[in-house]
Amino acid sequence: MFRHIPLILKNSWRNRRRTTLTVLSISVSLCLLGLLMALYHAFYLREAPPWQARRLITRNRVSLAVPMPIYYRDRIRQVPGVQEVMISQWFGGVYKDSRDPNNFFARFAVEPEKLFVIRGEIRVPEDQKRAFLAERTACAVGRRLAERLGFRLGDRITLKGDIFPVDLELTVRAIWDAPDNDEVLYFHWKYLEESLPPARQGLVGTFSILAERPEDVTRIAETVDAMFRNATVQTRTETEQAFALSFVAFLGNVKAFILSIAAAVTFTILLVSANTMAMSVRERIREVGVLRTLGYTPQSILGIILGESVLISLAGGLLGCGLAAVLCAVVRNGPIAFQQIRSLSVDAGVLATALAVALAIGVLSSAIPAWGASRTPIIQALRHTG
Amino acid sequence: MTEIVIQTRDLDKEFRRDGFSITALHRINLEVRRGEFLALMGPSGSGKSTLLHLIAAMDRPTRGEIRVLGQDLRALSDREVARWRNRHIGFVFQTFNLIPVLTAIENVELPLKLTHLSKKERLAHAETALRLVGLADRMHHLPRQLSGGQEQRVAIARAIVTDPDLILADEPTGNLDAASAQEVLTLLAKLNQEFGKTIILVTHDPHAARFAGKTRYLEKGELLPEGQVPD
Repeated sequence: MFRHIPLILKNSWRNRRRTTLTVLSISVSLCLLGLLMALYHAFYLREAPPWQARRLITRNRVSLAVPMPIYYRDRIRQVPGVQEVMISQWFGGVYKDSRDPNNFFARFAVEPEKLFVIRGEIRVPEDQKRAFLAERTACAVGRRLAERLGFRLGDRITLKGDIFPVDLELTVRAIWDAPDNDEVLYFHWKYLEESLPPARQGLVGTFSILAERPEDVTRIAETVDAMFRNATVQTRTETEQAFALSFVAFLGNVKAFILSIAAAVTFTILLVSANTMAMSVRERIREVGVLRTLGYTPQSILGIILGESVLISLAGGLLGCGLAAVLCAVVRNGPIAFQQIRSLSVDAGVLATALAVALAIGVLSSAIPAWGASRTPIIQALRHTG
Repeated sequence: MTEIVIQTRDLDKEFRRDGFSITALHRINLEVRRGEFLALMGPSGSGKSTLLHLIAAMDRPTRGEIRVLGQDLRALSDREVARWRNRHIGFVFQTFNLIPVLTAIENVELPLKLTHLSKKERLAHAETALRLVGLADRMHHLPRQLSGGQEQRVAIARAIVTDPDLILADEPTGNLDAASAQEVLTLLAKLNQEFGKTIILVTHDPHAARFAGKTRYLEKGELLPEGQVPD
């Protein structure tokens, strides 16, 4: 079969315009498919990084919007295998103008002394860390967020409350780095708590739990939820990764959405490619007759035609994956709504799947015309005028 | 007595079209000996090309026997027939039928790709064949860069590159001007006389037939007795 590669290459490039257009149409479709697969992978298949594998989130079982009593923290802390528990309260609020999506970022009220234990991957200069811990109105912002909004040490940030009936005046005391999830602002939970009216005090949205070992995570989640099963406020504990994914679910059945679009895209490419290959083969039936006269078997002709189709599909697939990688980088580095997007990339798994789809498209789109051509009786093929 | 390389006995070929049966060849009894240059003549539709296709095992007879180079062609499977054809038959078409995206030498190399020869050996054989047909200086030209006569000579080089026992030429001069036709016929005669190739030339041109050592006539699917010329 390798002996026929020069013929396959030259046949592929025979009608340059058609081949170019076919490669481009496959590449655009596979770019979209690659992007969808990268999204699917980022949302549903990505393994939690080591620093995230030990973390869990506990929230009210009814809804994230319904708080839990603060004393749950101490009960959770007593569960065997729990290394640390931290209050983590989503503040919401408005920074400057809420109509500008660029001004949207996550703001959490936390227990600052525990933050650097729970999120051990955070790197911050020691003097900034001390300044953040020491001042009640201090806040710490992630590097990417600071760069995006131009925050510098000492800057004052006003967050206008919406869920909570308070406006917070914060001072940037630390700018931290982390491998991911660095578009977050953390401030002192006590500052928020003291600013709230008494009726709103003593309640918490979520607890961040750090397990001693990744293997303990499932058991801890079950134990925590079992502990409050008969309480007035029941809990739901899940890994941090699953918790983050639950926000994606707010959009609807994203999994089915992604899969159905991917299937539609694949089917469309298959039709486009099949049409092109059918035309290409029909034009060359006579040459098939010549090759058969020279001694080529139907099997070798089938291989030559399939090889040509696979070559075109793979070229389109590679180009499409390259385009998808560029798009992923653009999306990954832009403003994002979900943290999972930060890991969006065409990795080896996505690349292999996309190329396997391209290979399948190459084979399936030409299988019927190639089979028909290779089985055409020699005399009939030689008389063909296509 | 030289060896008989083609022998047919009561060979029939019928085609079915739209429910009708058309007899293309009827009770053909033909013997061709090694080293012969036979011209098959007859008007259009007389069955010349059909007979050539049966000899090349490009088609199967409806009835009768056909042995070529001692092989009963009816007994071979499709795969065996393809291998046999590659080894023993060189076919020259009226319309040259070169692959347009391949250069002259690549076209000539095509049948050798089915052999066990290395790339270097294949190219050496193809070069020799092209030199033999006088196209050493056109090896890397594409078919569209060649004249009709040159294209047909490339096709002849492709037909002889495997050193086949039989060369079958189906109206090889039908698409050529007189000068090119003369060149091609001279070349075929040379292959017969100097290299001892057995050649069957299908033609309806009496001038072309004169290059052959013997001429047989077909009329309405029947082979006329040796020496008999149609009215």
